[in-house]
Amino acid sequence: MASNTANAVSYGSSRLADYTEDVTGERGPVDLPFALLSLLLLTIGVLMVLSASFARAYYDPSNTTGGNATYYFVRQALFALCGVGVMFACSRFPMSFYRSISGVVMMVSIALLALVLVPGIGEKVNGARRWINLKFTTFQPSEIAKIGVIMYFALLICNAKEKMRSFKYGIMPFVTVLGIICVLLYVEPHMSAIIIILAIGMVMLFLGGLPLYWFIGGGTAAAALLGIGYAIFPYVRDRFSAWLDPFSDLSGDGYQIVQSLYAIGSGGLLGKGLGASLQKYLYLPEEHNDFIFSVYCEELGFIGAMLLLALFALLIIRGYWLSMHVRDRYSALVGAGITTHLAMQVILNVAVCTNSIPCTGISLPLFSYGGTALLLQMAELGIILSLSRDIPEKR
Amino acid sequence: MLFKKRRTGQSATPNRMMLRRTLFLMIVCGIVAFIALGARLFQLQVLDHEMYETAAVEQQLRQTTVTAKRGTIYDRNMNILAMSASVSNIYLSPAEIVMYDEDPAAIASGLAEILGLDYADVFEKTTHTNSWYMTIARKVEDDVTDRVRQFKQDGYTDADGKHHIYNGIKIEEASKRYYPYSSLACHVIGFVGSDDHGLAGLEYYYDDLLSGVDGRIVRATNANGTDMLFTDFEDYYDAEDGKSIVTTIDETVQRYLESRLAEASEDYMLRDGAAGIVMDVDTAAILGMASVGNFDLNDYMALSPETLESIEKESVGMTVEEHDALVEQERSEMWRNKALTETYEPGSVFKIITLAAGLESGAVNMDSTFFCGGSIDVLGRTDPLNCAVLSGHGELNLTEAAMHSCNVAFVTIGLRIGAERFYDYVRAFGLFEKTGVDLTGEAGSIWWDEDTFFDKNNLSQLAAAAFGQTFTITPLQLITAVSAVANGGYLMKPYLVKEVLNADGTVASQTEPTVIRQVISEETSRKCCQILEQVVGDRNGTGVNAYVAGYRVCGKTGTSEDVTWEVAHGTKKYIASFLGFAPADDPKVAVLVILKDPDPACGYGVSGGTMAAPTVGAILADVLPYLGVEPEYGEGEEAIVDQRVPKLVGKTPSEAQAAAEALGFSARVLGEGAAVTAQLPAANSKVAAGSEVILYCDYQPSEELVEVPNLLGAHYDDARIVAGWDNLYVRGEGTMMDSDNILIVSQSIEPGTMVEPGTVITVRMNDATKVGVF
Repeated sequence: MASNTANAVSYGSSRLADYTEDVTGERGPVDLPFALLSLLLLTIGVLMVLSASFARAYYDPSNTTGGNATYYFVRQALFALCGVGVMFACSRFPMSFYRSISGVVMMVSIALLALVLVPGIGEKVNGARRWINLKFTTFQPSEIAKIGVIMYFALLICNAKEKMRSFKYGIMPFVTVLGIICVLLYVEPHMSAIIIILAIGMVMLFLGGLPLYWFIGGGTAAAALLGIGYAIFPYVRDRFSAWLDPFSDLSGDGYQIVQSLYAIGSGGLLGKGLGASLQKYLYLPEEHNDFIFSVYCEELGFIGAMLLLALFALLIIRGYWLSMHVRDRYSALVGAGITTHLAMQVILNVAVCTNSIPCTGISLPLFSYGGTALLLQMAELGIILSLSRDIPEKR
Repeated sequence: MLFKKRRTGQSATPNRMMLRRTLFLMIVCGIVAFIALGARLFQLQVLDHEMYETAAVEQQLRQTTVTAKRGTIYDRNMNILAMSASVSNIYLSPAEIVMYDEDPAAIASGLAEILGLDYADVFEKTTHTNSWYMTIARKVEDDVTDRVRQFKQDGYTDADGKHHIYNGIKIEEASKRYYPYSSLACHVIGFVGSDDHGLAGLEYYYDDLLSGVDGRIVRATNANGTDMLFTDFEDYYDAEDGKSIVTTIDETVQRYLESRLAEASEDYMLRDGAAGIVMDVDTAAILGMASVGNFDLNDYMALSPETLESIEKESVGMTVEEHDALVEQERSEMWRNKALTETYEPGSVFKIITLAAGLESGAVNMDSTFFCGGSIDVLGRTDPLNCAVLSGHGELNLTEAAMHSCNVAFVTIGLRIGAERFYDYVRAFGLFEKTGVDLTGEAGSIWWDEDTFFDKNNLSQLAAAAFGQTFTITPLQLITAVSAVANGGYLMKPYLVKEVLNADGTVASQTEPTVIRQVISEETSRKCCQILEQVVGDRNGTGVNAYVAGYRVCGKTGTSEDVTWEVAHGTKKYIASFLGFAPADDPKVAVLVILKDPDPACGYGVSGGTMAAPTVGAILADVLPYLGVEPEYGEGEEAIVDQRVPKLVGKTPSEAQAAAEALGFSARVLGEGAAVTAQLPAANSKVAAGSEVILYCDYQPSEELVEVPNLLGAHYDDARIVAGWDNLYVRGEGTMMDSDNILIVSQSIEPGTMVEPGTVITVRMNDATKVGVF
């Protein structure tokens, strides 16, 4: 592990100071469609936080908002403004800069994941130690780890080049890194983060050229693991039974799924109108967070949901498109990785809200309430904007 | 264009495989997955939308019910038989007491005081802090509700001097049922349970109409149950008040029926109650329907003191369950409408049907004659069938056969009709099926099946059926069938509700009399009336005790045995019944009275002729004038009819004498004065025609009390004379007919009682010889 990291750092041929010219110097413009789609989704997302959260903020069952109906909205809006700044800042840095800090980011991620487990630093919420409190805000190290995995794996893949087919270069380092992260996350515990990070890792390996039979083997192994988990952990079984028949346990695991289905279903074709959700009145838990999409569906209906999904799909397709047009392999890998991360969060979140998969806590990018998560998402989008600037103009 | 950029050999640029795999991801994550999610959303939001919407609305909305006012039940003259008054239910919302930080102790003590409840009980209810609805008092009258409302509004003042109302106290509108006539027609009207829905009688049968539709106030609330923020979602569904029904029951007729049945019940010491129906002959509208004994609809659970006493005696040594079961049994007995839900063997009253069938079928005619030697042999019977008079009636014509209720003659008629035809007539008179009256619990009749009845080698069933035995029907079926005989042959469907009114009083629907079929011709009907009039009108008729002076009453006696009782207990139990209708030339009203299990110790002979006939006669005497049927006195009748004494005081003696004599009274003048200063009996008293009126002219009337003579067993004329000796007067009731057998059977004032001169003694006339199983 240590040798890999050292290797990565040494591979970066330049230092930070060397990039100031690139930051200020002439590169191509950022990709306008991608930037506009991002900002549009962010705007809608912030407005939805206002609509979804004001009832809970007003009634204040958790005693954090002081009854201020706009509490969550104001905070989210401030973070969104910062996020816009972060996105454009990130788009200024050249890709070679990101390549050079990939190893550092990975190391910092792992360090934070370890740090969060220390009582006193990591905050325990609902029996899980996932949050680090920075007084003005809290953040989850797992969010940084996702970017870390994308950047670092891209770096490793670029280094391994044709050796990706070999076990030593194609499998070993990746599995080691993923293993360490997963163990740390398992201790927290944070299952949804494990799932996403494993998936991101897989996708990176897939893009890196790992032979397909590894994925067949990996898929089989994952299914087996899932089976074992189902057999061993009762809460996994509960999740599955709640998924298959959420109405059977309305007071337990089924409750939030059923409330989400009520919200989405009662929205109908055209929805109840912006701000008119009834399910957000304390019926739907996490209504401004993991289930914000359900409130959106209730208020704006099937048509609105289709528009939103179309915007997300366009953003994702554009992200892949940019990744395919950049000439640098590292940039292409990071771009496709970030886009996949974005796509996975959107798809899994919507799938959970619609009870298409068993319930797990996955937030909706640019929508779900959460300051640092939003800043990191904006940073990721900024990186894509940065690589878009390297794409040569069409002749 | 994508692949044009491909460069080989340069490791820093994406290779072809990478582009291919990126494209693959783009298709999966950017298109396929979204199409799948879109499909799922389509299913949830478009296909299953209504299901989720309904479920969501159910949890988001909190409903408050606005009780619809239950409709009124009127008698045919719009007297109110049952009505609802608004009352309130008082309840607490302990959850809101907590939410608004109200003082449960203050609320409990305030409510306990106003409502007269125990403080501890009320306080206990405030401790159910998860509940939104804890009932404190139901059906609270308006004045008390006003005090509760005031208490709620007065509320309390908090530490900052701010005034608050008690949100935790809730008042809900409800209604309470009142029955102004308490027990009148209780079996017909029925009653409602605590939920304001009918449990018995018309209240039950017409519950849907009477109830109306409750209104609702719907509010959207959050998961905590309080109002949603910024959402004034409130929806009102107006309560639709219940419809009112106008029954065919006539309060006055019902009262006559019930009081005469109660009298009979007491006089004849009935051990199994009584039932009676008064029916409009032309329409089969039920004017009165009663079952002894009554209960108070306002307190329908309460048993009579006598019943409680007998339960007390009977339940010695019983377990609690057995005792409760006994109480339940007594209650259902008390609530039973005997005229509708019980079947019985009609006995000789059924001869009306046999007579009608015989005449209509041509088996007999008005000139038919019969010979009764006291019994008749019937194919299939080992012993001959006996007549009530074992010595036999001798030679009889059809009218006489009916008058004497001769079994031999009616068996003969039955046999002449033949089993099949007889069966057809029974069916045509509707005696195989329920009448379909608009009341729940109607019993069905029990008859021989066709194979048994049509047996050519055994005519005993037909023979017995011809005089009303070996089958059972309900009183309602019988009076409906006989009404058809009386009204020109039209079998009508009996009914109890003639009109349904909307809440605003407009007519929603009207019941038109329903002709089911014409069973006999008008001609036959007229002949039947003619014959049946003789049963009552002829002093030799068995029904003479139903005679009402001035009215041509038709009728038929019946004395039957309670077969089911006999099978079960081995002892005999008689049912004395009579069915009368009048007037003979155009029957208006029919009355059926069934007296069950009279005690021979009552002093009257156990028979329809001595017990039920006078009862029906008395009811007809009440009802016919009330219904506006003018009496028409025949020759000789006028002499026996009681007369009203006019006001003679103030007239000159000669004027007064003339006025008295003009009414058939004789007059005696006492004193020398120029004007009458006092008179006996008092003006407007009704006394026997031919009584002597005493006119005092400046003459001091004797104030000495006189002793009431024993008039029992005397003829009416003799009684008048004997009473006159002591300046007392008599007036008659019952069979006011000149016959050697018609004697006084009871007098209103006990012999030996000391009374003022001029007192009128009411005597009951009756032909006590009309005893027998006919």
